[in-house]
Amino acid sequence: MRLKKTSIALATALSLVVGLAVLPNANAATTVKMVLWPGPEGDAMQKVVDAYNSSQGKKDGVNVKMILLSRDNTFAKEAALMKAKSSEYDIYFTASYLVGQHAPYLSDLKGVKDSLYLKASVNSLKVAGKQKALPLDTSLHFMYYRKDLISSLSANAAKYTSIAKTVLGKDLKPNTDPATWTWDDALATAAYFTQKYNPESPTKYGYALPAKNLLYNTMIWNDVLWGLGGNWLKNGKPNLNTPTGKAAIDVYNTIYTKGLTSPDSSQWEYAETNAALTSGNAAIALQWNAAYSELSTTGATKDQVGIAPPPGKGQRTHVHALAVGLNKFSKNQAASAKWMAHLATVPAMRTYATAGGVPSMPTILKGMVSKNASFANVIEYAGKFGYSASAGPREFDIYAALAEVLSPAWSGQKTSADVAAAADEAIKKLQK
Amino acid sequence: MTFGKERKIAGWLLSAPLLILLAGLLVWPMYLGFQTSMTHDILSDFETYPVGLENYKNLLMEPNFWSAIRFTLMFAFTASIVELILGFALALMFDRVFPGKKILFSLMLIPIMIAPSLMAVMFRLILNENIGVIPGFLKIIGSSYSIFDQNNIFLSLIVLDVIQFTAFTFLLTYSALQNMPSEIYEAAAIDGANKRQTLFRITMPILKPALAIVFLLRILDSIRTFDSIYILTGGGPGTSTQTVGIYIYKTAFIYGDFGLAASAAIVLVFILAPFMPFIIKQFNLGTERSK
Repeated sequence: MRLKKTSIALATALSLVVGLAVLPNANAATTVKMVLWPGPEGDAMQKVVDAYNSSQGKKDGVNVKMILLSRDNTFAKEAALMKAKSSEYDIYFTASYLVGQHAPYLSDLKGVKDSLYLKASVNSLKVAGKQKALPLDTSLHFMYYRKDLISSLSANAAKYTSIAKTVLGKDLKPNTDPATWTWDDALATAAYFTQKYNPESPTKYGYALPAKNLLYNTMIWNDVLWGLGGNWLKNGKPNLNTPTGKAAIDVYNTIYTKGLTSPDSSQWEYAETNAALTSGNAAIALQWNAAYSELSTTGATKDQVGIAPPPGKGQRTHVHALAVGLNKFSKNQAASAKWMAHLATVPAMRTYATAGGVPSMPTILKGMVSKNASFANVIEYAGKFGYSASAGPREFDIYAALAEVLSPAWSGQKTSADVAAAADEAIKKLQK
Repeated sequence: MTFGKERKIAGWLLSAPLLILLAGLLVWPMYLGFQTSMTHDILSDFETYPVGLENYKNLLMEPNFWSAIRFTLMFAFTASIVELILGFALALMFDRVFPGKKILFSLMLIPIMIAPSLMAVMFRLILNENIGVIPGFLKIIGSSYSIFDQNNIFLSLIVLDVIQFTAFTFLLTYSALQNMPSEIYEAAAIDGANKRQTLFRITMPILKPALAIVFLLRILDSIRTFDSIYILTGGGPGTSTQTVGIYIYKTAFIYGDFGLAASAAIVLVFILAPFMPFIIKQFNLGTERSK
């Protein structure tokens, strides 16, 4: 009898424990899972997440958990998850050039204050007029040059003109203000600083050309196309098999075939371009703004690196924003929206900037100019010269296809005449 | 029930767990892949719907797919032949006693212990014209050879593959050599056979099945090459160094066309499948000889 009573008591206690454990806790926070990639952006965002979880998150009843996928394949993994209509992650990492592809899987964001952001960045994340993602870091291009070298040009005007005539067949005079360069000026300067034409040049090559078959290199080449007045599309139709399109391809082709860049540059991307500049092997390059911190503190470019907008009569720079968007299939829409609303505030982005991010909010960037002088140029160029291709849902694919079709001409294997029609065909195929 | 029938049932029962595991890990994903290959499944299109053999038709008319097949086969055969010859030569060299053999043997195996993607990243740094050790050395000796120049890139990729995978062919051929009965060599020596005759008339004919297996394994592996070339060249310039693996990856994860990518993967399986009977035949031949 006593044993029976003990058993009943034990069973009751056990039921209570189990019951309490499985009952939903009214005060428990909802966990929001957000994908980002490792590196400076992931590190900076972790600080914002930690700050939110320890303060505002408690009030909101939200706990954010960040998942860092690999830097190279974050978007590939997300593509598989999106196609499977997965609800595993609540917030996806995206970017201006991908948002068209990702849009069907992202909820519309409401209440985003456009006025807080760089116009080019926030607009590049709209699809059919709807905000699909929240801007984080803004990226654009600078024409980097060695101030010590460019300032020496005027003293050697005759030599410069003679080299320009030999290499480009044009009568050109030195232009020591890279902010006003045309592509002819940039090419002539590159030729002048190439030892093949000027054995006294301190650099072996004048230009560092990222010509690898890589979609991010197409983004840089776009500046050339736009600078010459061209565009991918005209009235919605492919527009590269035109005199302007071919002239833009010829700029890269000339740099490579005339030996103004290293023969190895057919396989160069971001890191190699930086290495060419910092090692003192190259004098100028069109490169991402993110390179400034390395270039201004390392090797031959230390304290000597100058910044100018991309050359051309109609100077333009590609602008894109890394961003986060809300998974349409997330089971935590309300909690995710609370976190995104916090992320869209100036204090949250200030924490992000202090931790190393480059947020798309001009007010914050202005306040950080003393730490990174290039932020002033980011604000100025994004406003004055910023441009996005905006080619619709398959923009990302077009970047990749153009890299594939154009890179043989960039690296001298083919001519602009060989590839221009194929480039138009590739765009047309992806527009279907 | 007869004894033979009982044995047969017991055989199936005992194999069942493994067969179920194989079905789960191989047959089911392949079925899903085949199913995807018969659908319009593009990331930027929300809807997925069946299209029959449309993806296969598009794939076979896709010049980039055929150029990828051509490059892959050229790369795989060239690299595998060089690796087999070098691996076998090294195995012969190591099939004797010499000072420092154990240390050298261990060092030889290091490249295959490194992941190909990591190896590619290392090569990208070592061969970088501006900061790399090798171009620096070439500069010192007065050579202007450009490793990543478009005209040299095929050779560079082959050399890098050979550096990484010769250790594999070496290890397998060395193991095969260790199993050679010493009596045969003693008999050959008594008959007055010189080293060349011993190699070509005794060693190589006996090792033929093992060499064939090693060669075919390398071919199969080389055809699937992806990470090292993707990291070094991205398949370019253009599509000049694009393997089938890179083609499939780009089609799925850059162009977001999962249907077309799945059809290319299925076609790749059909390209690789004919190699299997040869491997199995050579493996059986080798097993019978060793009995």
